[in-house]
Amino acid sequence: MPRFLVRIFLCALVASGLRAQQTEVVLTATSSAKLVLAMPAPKTSGLDAALVATEYSAVLQRDLDESGVIAVLQERLPAEGAAVKAWKEAGAQWLLSAKLTRAANGELQLEASALDTAAEKGVFNRTYHANKIVPLRYLAHYLADDLVGRLTGEKGVASSRIVFVRQTSPGVKELFQVDRDGAGLIQLTRYGSLTLSPSVASDGRLAYVTYKGGAPEIWGQRKKDGPHEKLYPVSGAGGMLTSPVWSPDGKRLAFVQGDRRGNSDIMVLDLGSLRARRLTDSNGINTEPSWNPNGNQIAFTSDREGGPQVFLMQDDGSNLRRLTSEGLYNASPAWSPNGAMIAYVSRFEGKFDLFVYKLGEGRAYQITTGVSTSESPAWSPDERRMVFTSNRFGSSQLFTTDLSGRQILRLSELAGCQSPRWIRGH
Amino acid sequence: MRYGTYLVPAAIVITLGSLACKPPKTAEQIKQETQAAFNEGVQAFQDGKARTANPYLNDKENPHKMQGWNDGWDKAAADKAAADRAAADKAVADRAAADRAAADKAAAAEEAARKAAEADKAAAFKKAADAALVNIHFDYDKAEIKEKDRAILQGVAEFMKAFPAAKVEIEGHCDERGTNEYNLALGNRRAAAALAYLKTLGVDDARFTTISFGKEKPLCAEAKEGCWSLNRRGEFKLK
Repeated sequence: MPRFLVRIFLCALVASGLRAQQTEVVLTATSSAKLVLAMPAPKTSGLDAALVATEYSAVLQRDLDESGVIAVLQERLPAEGAAVKAWKEAGAQWLLSAKLTRAANGELQLEASALDTAAEKGVFNRTYHANKIVPLRYLAHYLADDLVGRLTGEKGVASSRIVFVRQTSPGVKELFQVDRDGAGLIQLTRYGSLTLSPSVASDGRLAYVTYKGGAPEIWGQRKKDGPHEKLYPVSGAGGMLTSPVWSPDGKRLAFVQGDRRGNSDIMVLDLGSLRARRLTDSNGINTEPSWNPNGNQIAFTSDREGGPQVFLMQDDGSNLRRLTSEGLYNASPAWSPNGAMIAYVSRFEGKFDLFVYKLGEGRAYQITTGVSTSESPAWSPDERRMVFTSNRFGSSQLFTTDLSGRQILRLSELAGCQSPRWIRGH
Repeated sequence: MRYGTYLVPAAIVITLGSLACKPPKTAEQIKQETQAAFNEGVQAFQDGKARTANPYLNDKENPHKMQGWNDGWDKAAADKAAADRAAADKAVADRAAADRAAADKAAAAEEAARKAAEADKAAAFKKAADAALVNIHFDYDKAEIKEKDRAILQGVAEFMKAFPAAKVEIEGHCDERGTNEYNLALGNRRAAAALAYLKTLGVDDARFTTISFGKEKPLCAEAKEGCWSLNRRGEFKLK
């Protein structure tokens, strides 16, 4: 189902050509592919109406808009308490009703149900409870995720987070995380040094490169929620180290090691045996590994045939083949969570833009067409959007885009951001 | 035959008797043993291990050894000997202390001179390093050493030869165009290119370490060629 919808978007993209104007926020809620949902203001008890409007209604509406499969009805709304028929005539396919209660002990409760306006029967009904440390906006995220799940079969990604690198002062970069909607910024490392290339395993374990000891080292968590410790080199000096990437099962770590002759190679470290194996053969630059969801293939960037291009290989280094054929600079491959697409960046007329290569079709689609540079694509867990960095407003900031490239949203106004990674859960 | 009856047993008795009896001690032997016992007693006393009973009292065999029991002990002489020894020890210690003080003074002067020389040397080293360790630059997405930077690398090599203890880290840097990770690899290649060139100039490559900062540490942050060409650089830093 998601793949079907993606195809619809790409068709829409082709149909509209590349005329799309890129503005900061383009919330299109008119696509015929989307389900139109009406969400009248929730009934509340024990909560301030202004708080509900900003921390619940606005959050839920943005979540649903960004989901790409649900459009929130915003025009010609019937009066408060109108009959279902009136909502149907206004264009709503689903009518969401919600009741928010805050108990005396601070616990929140959200009772949500949705009605199909054509059949006039319930399609969704769920009650959420949250203790007082959970922000109200998270309840909106959970509801948005379940509504998207009810519609598409796959839970939405409203309650997800972005881990990224941000410059805190010249020469100092640290890891941060922020909720998918730009709220809840948290600093994850405080090394006072260059910290780069984060990777997050499916269970939330981090791996990254830090220069805190002078030379680069790969640090991360061996256990879920465990302490941050050195993962590589196991002993001695490791030379140039970049790009640690957890395998999908979290048991192996692909990374890049450079030698003193100027070559860099893709390596795979087995976390169980602490054995590292070299997959490429020291013939130039090989970097930016990205696993496929099965964990048996790796996409990477190599300049073995001249400029940087995206190549694929098995996880033992065999069956090497070149993926990208057009352009002189194709890099930063990111294999999509379902395995059918590979996002990458390509240089054209001095700028970098995002592309998506569809493995089934054997061809690439351009996603961003801006006057500015777009870099470091990373997929959302549901494969509907990508997070990337762009300098369209000056300094490098975080943005997300759908696969048509028409709905580009600025995730936060933080400056000096790079290498975002998108994962489920807060 | 008749005389033999007495003479033969008598000869036998005399022979066996003379073999069985020890010869009597001579006066000289007795004198020596007496002196030895005396000396033993004096030594034991001086060592603080003086015996409280005469061990020869019950030595019925050698009654003359009893004379050695503390006989002839001269306390005044012993005290004088001890005082002399203490005085001699003190004189030796005093002389050693004086020697040490003199040596310390000489060493301090030497140390000060050495420090001054070292400071001069360090200043000369720093001056030479500042003059020799100049940034080199690269073309976009390239790691080849440029013609005009060869003189700089020659200068680095001469500096390394002039200061054999110097160790240098070669940093590779890139401009902001291109991905973070690819630029880290490119920076590594640039540092390696500088290292390889210095090796051809005859400098031991074990004296260099290489590190890549990719595009993470730009000198200049504007998006224009003037800035980019400044950022595509190799830096030499003393380790």
